[in-house]
Amino acid sequence: MTATVSLERASLRYGDILGLSPTTFELPDGGGITGLLGPNGAGKSTLIQLLSGLLPPSGGEVRVFGQVPFRNPAVLSRIGLVPEGDRFPVGLRGHHWLRMMGELSGLSGSHLNAAMASALTAVGMEVNGKKLFSEMSKGMRQRMRLGQALLHDPEFLILDEPFNGMDPESRLQLMELLRQQALAGRRILVSSHILGEVAQLTDRILLLFRGRLLAEGSVAEIRELLDRHPVELRIGAESAQAVARWAVEHDELVALRMEESGAVLAVRNPRSFLPKLQEAVLSGALPLSSLDPIDLNLDAVFQFLTKDHA
Amino acid sequence: MIALPTPARTISALVRGYFPRVLQIRGWVCALLVVLPVLLSFVLASILRMQQLSFGSQEALIVFHKVLAQLALPILVLVAAPAGIREDMEQRTLPLVLSRPAPTWILPFGKGLLWYGWGALWIVIAVGGMAGLGTEMASLPFMAAALLAAFWAELSFMTFLSLVFKRGTLWGALYLLIWDPLVRIMPGNLQRLTFIHYIESIAGSRGSSVGTSQLLAQEQITTPWYLAILVLFLFGVLCWAASGWKLQQTPIGLAGAEAEG
Repeated sequence: MTATVSLERASLRYGDILGLSPTTFELPDGGGITGLLGPNGAGKSTLIQLLSGLLPPSGGEVRVFGQVPFRNPAVLSRIGLVPEGDRFPVGLRGHHWLRMMGELSGLSGSHLNAAMASALTAVGMEVNGKKLFSEMSKGMRQRMRLGQALLHDPEFLILDEPFNGMDPESRLQLMELLRQQALAGRRILVSSHILGEVAQLTDRILLLFRGRLLAEGSVAEIRELLDRHPVELRIGAESAQAVARWAVEHDELVALRMEESGAVLAVRNPRSFLPKLQEAVLSGALPLSSLDPIDLNLDAVFQFLTKDHA
Repeated sequence: MIALPTPARTISALVRGYFPRVLQIRGWVCALLVVLPVLLSFVLASILRMQQLSFGSQEALIVFHKVLAQLALPILVLVAAPAGIREDMEQRTLPLVLSRPAPTWILPFGKGLLWYGWGALWIVIAVGGMAGLGTEMASLPFMAAALLAAFWAELSFMTFLSLVFKRGTLWGALYLLIWDPLVRIMPGNLQRLTFIHYIESIAGSRGSSVGTSQLLAQEQITTPWYLAILVLFLFGVLCWAASGWKLQQTPIGLAGAEAEG
């Protein structure tokens, strides 16, 4: 099997700071979406900059379409990059800038006009694309960045946190657009720090944390991995003892802490534990007055996984 | 299959793509910097002539050397150069351009050429206006050539400095506004390390402007005007090439040199 992307112990240092530890993985040829998941500072943007040819690796090897991507026009002509952040050229109009980006990709004449019309339509900016960037909303500018990445019909599309700052409707539209692009045969890499976002798009995830590739697998496999992280739930009840009595009967319980107005339970596999909790409340077996998940955020999960993989 | 953009097409795309930028505030400041001194001198000359006072070719020469060449041109360069490739670095939009298959080494020149063309247009207009100040018509082509060649060399020099140093504009300002005017007291061949030497070699001698009060003034050396133009042109080409080489070699990420997750 050939690979669109292959990393062989590729690493990147920013001076003394390690941006990405030696990392090895492959993305196969052909259409499909891969999620790059990790909390802020995990090394997602670093990895994306290596793949999109902006930065060369400090060690190891990065190959995209079998070639080194750094300053390599043959590779760059096949990549579309949507970088993170609301950066845009001041004083230019969207469609004017898009035309220049098309020309810098080698498009010209009727091909360029057709590509611009197609890209603007794909991102829903046929009308608003004529505005100055400074007059556009953040969401519109994000669409323009996506439009420039689609302009030259790249085989490999890289998006860094594309859903940041988007309203729910725009998110759904973008997800649908990415699915269509994947079905059309494009390999797509989408980074996010929110598992739910990535899970809606793809069944293949790369899990990054503190510059290390922690895991690689399907959404189900990653979810299973995440389920091993004990989640803390604060259960409010008139009788903390009653909560404790009920909780100790379940295998998922890892730790129990009594409080004045209830108890804090640390449980593994919350996806099997929570239905049991719901059933107990509905049947009146558990006199619950409130339920408060304490550390369901991704950072806490990643902290746990790092220890687990040490 | 899309053909990869050639250097010429890249330059064309950059010049046309960024053209609206020269029609904004920075572009008009550049235009005013060279045109306004001539306009004000014209007003002053008119007032003096109405009062039967003289404003002739000698005064026009002072306007050219003291105001246009030594003050307006360096400031024009300091205003225009940061609008080149440095602007994309500061706005963090350069990675969007660098992720395109266009040749990287031509980007500094492509962006700089737009501003060179814009500045050159107003330099020609300003020098044309010098005719109204009493400058001899035969001198105008040399004045224009001197400023155009110096603008070419200084703009490329500033672009190179801005790619090599984080505070490239500051170093450039020190060179153009402190070092260059010291040409008056520089001995012999050291004068050749200033832009003013070449401007004066092309547009006319400063000899008559050295007074007895200038105790440290050194004897002026000269370079034939055609050699002076060639030196400035080649220096500019060298700086553009060095800027392209520097950009080609320098990894520029989404956040500059900062680490970013």
